[in-house]
Formats: sequence, structure tokens, C-alpha cells
Amino acid sequence: MKIIKQSYKENLTGYLFIAPQILLFLIFLVYPIIEGVRLSLFKISYQDEVFVGFDNYRRLFSDPVFIQSTINTVIFVVFIVALTVGFAIFVSAAIFDKNAKYVSFIRGAYYIPVMVSMVVMSMIWSFLLNPANGLIPFIAREMEIVSVNFLGDTKWVLPVIIFVTFATNVGQAIILYIASMIGVPKELLEAAEVDGASKIKVVFKIIIPMVKPTTIYIIIMNIIAVLKIFVVIQLLTGGGPNNASTTLMYYLYNNAFKYNQLGIASAVGVIMFLITLALSIPQLRAMFKEN
Amino acid sequence: MIKNRFLTISLAIVLVLSILAGCTGSGGSSKDSASNGEVEIKVWLTPQWKGVLDASEDGADYDSFFKHAAKRFSEEYKDHKVKVTVEVVAGDQRDELLNVNLNGGTPPDVFFESVFAMGDYAHRGALVPLNDIVDDEAKKDIAQSHWDNVTFGDDIYFYPFSQNPGTLTYNADMFKAAGLEKYIGGEEEIKTWTLTEYEEILNALKANLPKDKYSNAYPMGLYALNNQGDTWNLAYLRMFGNQFFDNEGNLIINDENGVKAANWLKKIYDDGLTNPGAESVSSNDVNAMFQNQQLAVSFTNAILFNNAKADMESGKAPKFDIRLANIPSASGDPLTFTYVTGATVFDTKDETRIKVSKDFVKFISTDPELVKASKNGVPVRTSVAKEFSAEKPFFAAYSANDQYMFNFTGNVPGYSQLRQVLYPELQALYTGSKTAKEVVESYQTKGNEVIESSKADSVIYK
Repeated sequence: MKIIKQSYKENLTGYLFIAPQILLFLIFLVYPIIEGVRLSLFKISYQDEVFVGFDNYRRLFSDPVFIQSTINTVIFVVFIVALTVGFAIFVSAAIFDKNAKYVSFIRGAYYIPVMVSMVVMSMIWSFLLNPANGLIPFIAREMEIVSVNFLGDTKWVLPVIIFVTFATNVGQAIILYIASMIGVPKELLEAAEVDGASKIKVVFKIIIPMVKPTTIYIIIMNIIAVLKIFVVIQLLTGGGPNNASTTLMYYLYNNAFKYNQLGIASAVGVIMFLITLALSIPQLRAMFKEN
Repeated sequence: MIKNRFLTISLAIVLVLSILAGCTGSGGSSKDSASNGEVEIKVWLTPQWKGVLDASEDGADYDSFFKHAAKRFSEEYKDHKVKVTVEVVAGDQRDELLNVNLNGGTPPDVFFESVFAMGDYAHRGALVPLNDIVDDEAKKDIAQSHWDNVTFGDDIYFYPFSQNPGTLTYNADMFKAAGLEKYIGGEEEIKTWTLTEYEEILNALKANLPKDKYSNAYPMGLYALNNQGDTWNLAYLRMFGNQFFDNEGNLIINDENGVKAANWLKKIYDDGLTNPGAESVSSNDVNAMFQNQQLAVSFTNAILFNNAKADMESGKAPKFDIRLANIPSASGDPLTFTYVTGATVFDTKDETRIKVSKDFVKFISTDPELVKASKNGVPVRTSVAKEFSAEKPFFAAYSANDQYMFNFTGNVPGYSQLRQVLYPELQALYTGSKTAKEVVESYQTKGNEVIESSKADSVIYK
């Protein structure tokens, strides 16, 4: 009993050390989550809050715009994450073993868009693509090429947003991959070279398996980031045309801040939280298992 | 051991949650600020006019008028010592800021804005009625149509200050270049064209506008990216006589006239009589294109029109002969609407602050010197309009339009959300994913759902 008490005392010191962090975690993460779940079960007006059970969720699933937003979000997640990982592996594997100055140049070139604010990037793309006075449609008209409204055509708007987001974010993944690939033991690569393995074989059989933890990290981080995709939608398309590019986050924002439907917005938040959790758990488990 | 750990963690969670509950719990409780002697009120406004009375004053800014009024009010107010803080908020951030502050229990005391954008807050019970500060003299001086605009249910929620009528604007130089001299109105006239004449104008502009002088230019501005400037789109949908709302405040756009209007919009778009890509072009883009002489006809209101002229004078924008025209209709009568601007008082649950705020609103809306500032738009007071009629010749032209005025919001609950329903439908119309019939049908169904659910929540309909 005495030993247990002593051990508890020792642990208490530990708890005290992590208490500030735990306190902030509880206030800024756990409490908002609990409050979000609570609000999703209420209809909230300026005058009062009325408990409505799962009504907000029922309304959501019968709203075609919410369904469209969910489908669009899934499309964005799948394509942006796949493109980011694929392209970043391709660029990093091609340059990581080259001259250090060259690697730095490529790394910098791809990282610059990451440092630029998404707001600025979106405004530049808007200037380029605006169908009435944008640069690309203007050049297309001057050259008498059939002009496509990239932001107003339901077939084009998703690929354009995928490309813009991918182009802005891929630098981060390239930086991580290059760092990770430089860390791959030289002996493995030299042994492969002695055995006469081709570059493609080296990439697929040695490099990609060796950087798996980085890949998992990039996938998780990108999934979470893309699930929250908002700025580019708000500034480039406003969710249009006819809700063709609305995402869950944009739908949440509209409900929370424009329509003042806090209950509905909280329900969307809870659903997004569950989706993120469901997507992250298997990946995290795989990562820890490996370790 | 496990039990102890569990106990410690549980206690910590309970402690934190109870602190948080304590923090948030006090937000809604009513309090009285009179006890500390000084009453502090927050006044918010969206950008309206610069300067106290005129933009030519030194250091003229959007908050100049309210800062000046606040200073005078603090000096002259007898009941309390008052401190007024003035803050200008961006128009497109208004709802976000207000919703966050209302939910946090910290709304502003007074808000000065166009009434149409704020009506929802009256329905939500966030505003207090101003009936007790409106006297007979004010009722006589301000036209009944303006009082109707600010009345929700039986109560007045905004004190009308000025109005900002919406019309079309055109580039008379482009008209001349396209051989359309006979359709150009006087410099101080709001020209009225019939719909047939308007179609002739658009077709002539498309065919005859010299490409070397006006490259990349189009006859008319059309936009549907978002809800900004949607009042003109609402006006176009009334072109063939549709009344939009019935007596119960429900949408009735889905009829023959509504379909005709939607078809007309689609036709002028398909015929290349407007800028391309209307579905992803905003009203701001269209306004910029008009100022850059890429559009011959565009939308405007009194303030935008004055700003455009000022930009030309200061060299910020290319100079051209800019004039006004009415939105045409099939009946031949023009379609006109106005944004009544005025101050409203939020229900802060603090009786003293509400009383002082009401007195402040009465002060700025009735003081003989301060109401002169309404000349920056179009005054709602007949007395002020008369006083400045020689200096502002357009006042008479706007006044002549009053008889054709329609109330575009119908003062229905959920108008903000209703606005979010229209532009996706117009996008569907322009992209061809829906026919005109489908668009008005879908807009009516979705719009009436919004109105119905907002009516259920409205304190005015209860």
C-alpha cells in the first residue's frame, strides 16, 4: 500500500508537469468537441435553445446540397492526396541523390507556393480564370480558341480546384520526402547498384518501403487538411456553379455564419469529426504496428 | 492505483468543464450598466459615405459622421455620461460578425446599414422596436413607403435615414459609337426604355461597337457568382409582371411571367448580349468591367454612381460619359427599388444601454444638421431633399421613380437565406443544367421552404 502511495506521489509530479498542456487540451479541444456534439442536438435561436434530438442530422441527410458537399469532399480528398503523394514521390526520388545545391533549388521552388497565403493564391487563380476578364479566357478569345469557363463548368470546376490545391500544397510533401529519402541507408542503395538494379526497381523496392512512415504521415495530414478545404472554394467559386463545388467545410461555414443555423452546422462538424477519426485510426494503427 | 488515477482525471475534467460552464453561463444574463456612472455603447456600420457631410472634408472617412455625432451626443446628452465607440465593418462580413457576436452575447448596441440586409435580425428577436422614438413630425417628413420598408409586423425596427435607389447605368460614349444616339437620355435624367427598345440597344451594341476602340467589350453586365448585387437579378425576374410574393409572404415566381423572365435572361446570355461566364462572375467584376469600358450597360445605385463619377474625376478610372437608365419591363413601366438605410438597436438585455442607444438613434435621425448627411445618398426626408434639390438634380429624377417602386424583400423572414437560394439556380440556368421552367420551380420550392421554416422561428409571426 505504501509503495502504491509513493508511486502515486511520483506520478502526481508527472501529472503536474503535463497539467498546463492537459488543461489547454481540455479547454480548446475536448470542450469544443463536447459542446459541438451538444449543439448538434439543439435548434438554436437568439431567444432560446430547443432540444430536437437527431432532427438536425435528419435534415442534413435529406438535403441534396449536403450530399453533394460530401461527395465533392470525398472526391477532393481522394484526388488531391493521391496526386500529392504520387507527384511528391516522383520528384523527390528523382532528385534526392543529386547535387545538394540542385536539391535545394528544387525544394525551394516547390516550397514557395506553400509559403504564399492560400487567399493570395486563390485571388491570382481567380484573376487568371475569370471568364469575363481573366487572362486565360482573354488569350483564348484572342487566339480564337473555344474558351471554356473553368470556374463555371460543372465538368471543369472540380479538376481546377484539385489542381490549384495540389499545386499549392505539394511543396510540403516534397520537403518531407526528400528529407526522408536522404535518410535511407546508403548501404542499401549501394548494394542495389552493385546488384545492377534499375532506378525504377530501387524506387519501388527500396525507397518507397523505406519512407512508408513519411507516406502515412503525409496521407493523414493531407486528408485532414483537404477535409477542411474552404478558402479556395470561398474565393474562387463560392461553391458554384449550382453547388457543384461546395464542400463540407463550406456548407458548415454557410450554415454557421450566414444562415445562423448553429445546430445544423454543429451536426456537420460532428460528421466531419467522425469521418476524420474513421480515416485516421486505421492509418495510425498501421504506423504504430510498424514501429 | 487505477481508481486513484481515474479519480484525479475525472476531477480535473469536472473542474475544467465547470469553469467553462461558469464562463459561458454569464453571457445571456441581463445586466444594468448604469451603476458605474458611464454608459458605453458600441455603434457599428458598414461603409456608407465618407466625411461628416461631404467626402471633400479633410480626413473624411466612413466613420467621420458617426464619430462627430457621437461627440455631440456625449456633450449634449443629459441622462447619463455616455461613451460611444464607432466601428466600421465590411459589408460582406456583416452577417458573420453579427452572428458570432449575437451567439457570444456581445451584439453591438446600434447598427447602421441597409434595412434589407438586417430584416432577419428583427424576425429573430435580436432587435428592439423603435416605435417610441418616432414622432408625428418624422412620419410626415418621411414617405409612407419608407416606413413600410422598416416595419416588420406592427413595429418599426429601423429609423430611415437615407435611401439608395437601384437603377441601370450606361456608357453614353459606347452608345454613340454604336449609333445609338436616339436612346441616350439627358445628363440628369434616368432614361426609361421599353423592353423592345432595350433589346434593340443590346443587339446594336453587339453588332456595331467598334472592336478597335472597345476590344473585349460586351453590351450588358450579368452575374450570378454569389448573392452580391442580387437585387438587380430579382428585378430582371419581375420584368414580365411577376409579383414575386403573395399576401402571405410566399414566393410566387413559378408562373408564366416568371418563366418568361428567366427565359429572357437565358436568351440574352446565349445570344452573347452579356459578358460571358455570368455563372462565375460577381457583381464586383461587372462593376469593374463597366468602369474599364468593357460593358456598355451595368447595374448601379446612387452611391455606386457617385463613386464611379468621383473615380473618373480623380483619375482612378478611365473617364467617359456615364448616365442612368431604369430597368425596363414588358409593360413599359420602369422597375425601381431602393435600399433604405437607417439605424437599428440590438436587444442587449441591458435596459440602460437600450434606452441610451435609442436616444442616440433618434439624435442622428432627427438632428437638423446631422440629417443633412443623407444627401450623400438620396434623403428620405422631404425637407432635406427639397433643401438640396438645386445642388443635386438627380433627387427629382429619383423622386419621379417612387411610384414604380417595389419592395424586393417582401419583408419576409429568412431573407438572408433566401438570397443563398437564388444564385445557384441562376448558375444552373446559365450553364444549361436546368431549363427556365425548372429554375423558377426549384427556386420557388426551395425559397418557400426557407420562408416557412423562418416563419416558424420568427418572433414577429408568433
